[in-house]
Amino acid sequence: MNKTLLGYVPEESPIYAIHPFVKLFFLLIVSLFPLFVTAPDWNIGIMVVTLLLMWVSRVDMKILRIYAPVAISMGSIILLSYTVLGGVHPEYQLITRIAGIDIYWERIRDAIIVYFRILPMITTMVFFLTTSRERDVIVAMRSIRVPFVVTYIFAMALRAAGMVLEDFQIVRQAEQARGFDPAGKSIPYKIRQYVMYMIPLFALSLRRSEEFTNALVARGYAFTGEASKIKRADYILTHYSFKWYDLFFTVLIAVLFIALLVLRYGFGAFGIEDSWLIDTLRTALL
Amino acid sequence: MTPVIEIKDYSWQYLNTDRPALKQINLTIEEGSFVGIIGPNGAGKTSLAYSMDGLIPGQYNGIKNGVVNVFGKEVEEYAKGELQKLVGVVFSDPEAQFTSMTVEDELVFGMENIGMSVPEIRERLEWVTALTDLTPLLEKPPYEISGGQKQRVALAAVLAMTPQILILDEPTSMLDPVSRMRIFDVLAKLKKEQNNTIIIIEHSLENLIPLADRMLLLADGELVLADETQAFFQHMTFLLEKGVHPPGSMRFFHELALRGHYAGPMPLTGDRAYEQLKTLQNNSDTP
Repeated sequence: MNKTLLGYVPEESPIYAIHPFVKLFFLLIVSLFPLFVTAPDWNIGIMVVTLLLMWVSRVDMKILRIYAPVAISMGSIILLSYTVLGGVHPEYQLITRIAGIDIYWERIRDAIIVYFRILPMITTMVFFLTTSRERDVIVAMRSIRVPFVVTYIFAMALRAAGMVLEDFQIVRQAEQARGFDPAGKSIPYKIRQYVMYMIPLFALSLRRSEEFTNALVARGYAFTGEASKIKRADYILTHYSFKWYDLFFTVLIAVLFIALLVLRYGFGAFGIEDSWLIDTLRTALL
Repeated sequence: MTPVIEIKDYSWQYLNTDRPALKQINLTIEEGSFVGIIGPNGAGKTSLAYSMDGLIPGQYNGIKNGVVNVFGKEVEEYAKGELQKLVGVVFSDPEAQFTSMTVEDELVFGMENIGMSVPEIRERLEWVTALTDLTPLLEKPPYEISGGQKQRVALAAVLAMTPQILILDEPTSMLDPVSRMRIFDVLAKLKKEQNNTIIIIEHSLENLIPLADRMLLLADGELVLADETQAFFQHMTFLLEKGVHPPGSMRFFHELALRGHYAGPMPLTGDRAYEQLKTLQNNSDTP
């Protein structure tokens, strides 16, 4: 595995043969799929396909463990919002009453639908982050003619985030070396003491930004575009060519999206009434 | 030789400071020369380097007096990006100057900024990676490589822009002796094969002296000594007073000179010191 500022990517992967644009296109389009799919079964299907793609791409699947707490807490928050904090709805079917709070079937169903809409979106993002090196993201953006200054600001933001994290480690180690140890202390104490980290980190960030600006100026770059009025060579793009299979995957994703829209709005597919999962759950709960 | 940098009665004071960082500097640097700048911390070395690249006064607020001419033109008169085509700067902290996601992108960034075409970039990239031995690292993120490699990337990124004047601000201050040697090897190659004017601020005199044609000593913002390297180190007592620590062999010959055993030129290299020591020994053996 190789560490990137976005996460971990496989050292070797068949997906590296795919043009970065296709991966970005996949992220942008496939993450829209769940918005048009109400039946959780289909959204689980999208998630499974994405996970299979990750597996084929030789992503270390253990990485998913990092996202498990996010998925669980997000699911819990959604469920609580829809049930406990969902309000009183006499028109809904009551399942049970817990501590004076009415729990309705419709609210549970809606929570499940929303949850299984968000999960595939997150999985698609995870797929993108675990198969894209930083350069891929930049290349993908440049290949769709996003202005250089925008892609560059994005790249600098990634870079700056990495630098702040490195600086934070340095500051933390320096504080610990001088006996500062918040382990075992209360959270308010930790928050108060975090100022000790923040002040040097802020000072370091100011210095870094000055050095960074100097580096940009010294390398002939100006955000005004005055430095070089002629067209940028965009040399990185010469390493990438859009091959027949890139075109195939791009068209496939686009066709699938169009098919999804036609099936949803033309034939009423992917609706809640088609969900085996919801049916089974309703039978079990009611 | 043609002067490429001419500094006349130049003073610079940063805003909200009580004394100037540079005072009444008069200096001429000639084309193709290798100039070493030394001096204690806070002497104004970096301010002088930044003044020659236009970072001062361009990026800093302060009061400027006097003239800094690069290729016969005042630095402020250059259009944005124009001076950077002529003068390249390598900073002491390589980490801080990386702006890209891979070593290759880092090397290419400056070349794209000054409008080089793809074939030109490819050609320069091949040349600079061979010179600095960076070919195996092209795909790596610059923040993941070692300190020595980072500084070579920083140097290569500037060299790739083919500046006629190269300014290096303590490029080896964060490096171990081996990495330091590799940087000086690159500079030696540049001196031998190209006609770049190289100005380097450096504390490691052992590596700097054999390459430098000329040395400058700054102290408290003033240029207190400027001479050809050999003549510069004849002022050993003055240099030691100013806190300069010349290599051990030079200090040894200075001690000999103080005790009246030696009156010749200070040896600039270890080999030269050995030869001079042998000559001294032969002279003392002669009845």
